[in-house]
Amino acid sequence: MPPPTTAGFDFESLRQVFDFSYFWSYREVLLSGLLVNFLVFGFAALLAAGSGFVVCLLRVSRSRAARGIGTFYVELFRNTPEYVFLTWVHFVLPLVLTRLLVTRVNFAPTLSAVLALGLCYSGYFAETFRTGILSIPRGHIDAGRAVAMGRALIMRRIILPQAIRRVLPEALNNSVSLFKATSIVSLIAVPDLMYNVVNVVQYEMRPLPLYSSAAFLFFAILFMLSALVQALTERWRTRAWG
Amino acid sequence: MDVFRRVVLNNLDALLGGLWVTVQVSAIAFVLALLLGFAAALVRLYVRPARYLAETYIQFCRNTPIFVQLMWVAYVWPDVVGWPRSFFAAGFTALALQSSGYLAETFRSGIQGMDRGQRESAYSLGMPPLLTMRRIILPQVLLLMSPAIMNQFLVVVKSSTLVSVIAVPDLMYHALRLTRVWLEPIEILSVTAFLYIAMVFVLSTLIKWHTDRMRARFG
Repeated sequence: MPPPTTAGFDFESLRQVFDFSYFWSYREVLLSGLLVNFLVFGFAALLAAGSGFVVCLLRVSRSRAARGIGTFYVELFRNTPEYVFLTWVHFVLPLVLTRLLVTRVNFAPTLSAVLALGLCYSGYFAETFRTGILSIPRGHIDAGRAVAMGRALIMRRIILPQAIRRVLPEALNNSVSLFKATSIVSLIAVPDLMYNVVNVVQYEMRPLPLYSSAAFLFFAILFMLSALVQALTERWRTRAWG
Repeated sequence: MDVFRRVVLNNLDALLGGLWVTVQVSAIAFVLALLLGFAAALVRLYVRPARYLAETYIQFCRNTPIFVQLMWVAYVWPDVVGWPRSFFAAGFTALALQSSGYLAETFRSGIQGMDRGQRESAYSLGMPPLLTMRRIILPQVLLLMSPAIMNQFLVVVKSSTLVSVIAVPDLMYHALRLTRVWLEPIEILSVTAFLYIAMVFVLSTLIKWHTDRMRARFG
């Protein structure tokens, strides 16, 4: 690590921390990077919610084998650090697929990023959905049975409409965490915001204003997103949705 | 199998040394996060004028990605405040910063959720506020919140994989370095992933066991 330019507190450096002019002059490339963040987030969230829902159905299924598979899946992906899984999906999975399929497989960085983050967070989504389904009182299922509804119909007409409302706040919280995690995709060369920031830092040799602005920008976005989720949650609660 | 022996077993020293650095970084970061988080919670609750400052600190820590914080602490802080002087210190500081925000909220909800009668009965016995906090409130908060606090340790361990980005020689750093040297990503990265998953799985099983025991005791 290069020695700091100053021994203690430095006022000039502090001024640079709040200097947003570098960020502003590179706004186009940085904004396009932020757009990539949102794109990766969008597709990964779809994948996570979709596969999370399937796995959650496995986990509440009657078959012991299906429950076992679901539990294994959830434990595996919740216990894997995102960065480790990201590099594994990007560098190992294509090679394994190449050997299995005997055709050359290559993942674009963006595809790896969506796959890795989507699968990693599907474990969290599955658990969230499961708590929602389990929170529906047993009596509702029995009542459905009493009027001769089938299992699938009970699930679709009685459990899911109530469960979705209950898990929506937590699912949105998971999504905010997922957006936060998209900042690491720059490490496999997805041209997202941090990737462009690092490039500009290397070009301008000005880490102080650029990294600080990046931190403040992420803070602003994530703070607004989580405030929005909280406001929506409060509103749904007062409407007695939950 | 041949590749496995050549690439993984030959470099087991480096990988295990990296694992030890991971443990060190996570442990230091977690202890620091506990202290910072508790201080932030106390300021947020009891020091009126600094309340919004503490609130901003907590929200900033919680709402910034750990990777961004790492870069920020490693490359901005040394010039502004003259610290941290090493990437290792930068690594655990950033990890601690992130977790202290979450832990502060945990402590705050724990302290606020404590029954009023606990504090009032301590006061009626003539205990001063500090002693009340130390003897009455804090032990109960730590016990009740221990599942949430320990889960935060899991988050620290998982986030610690990112300190490799600022050249802290942890397990992930050595795994990526060996991948570049040997160009055999399958074995190295799979073993690394397995090591991390096993470590986190053991920790989370222990936490779950503890949580279940707590639930059995206190309902």
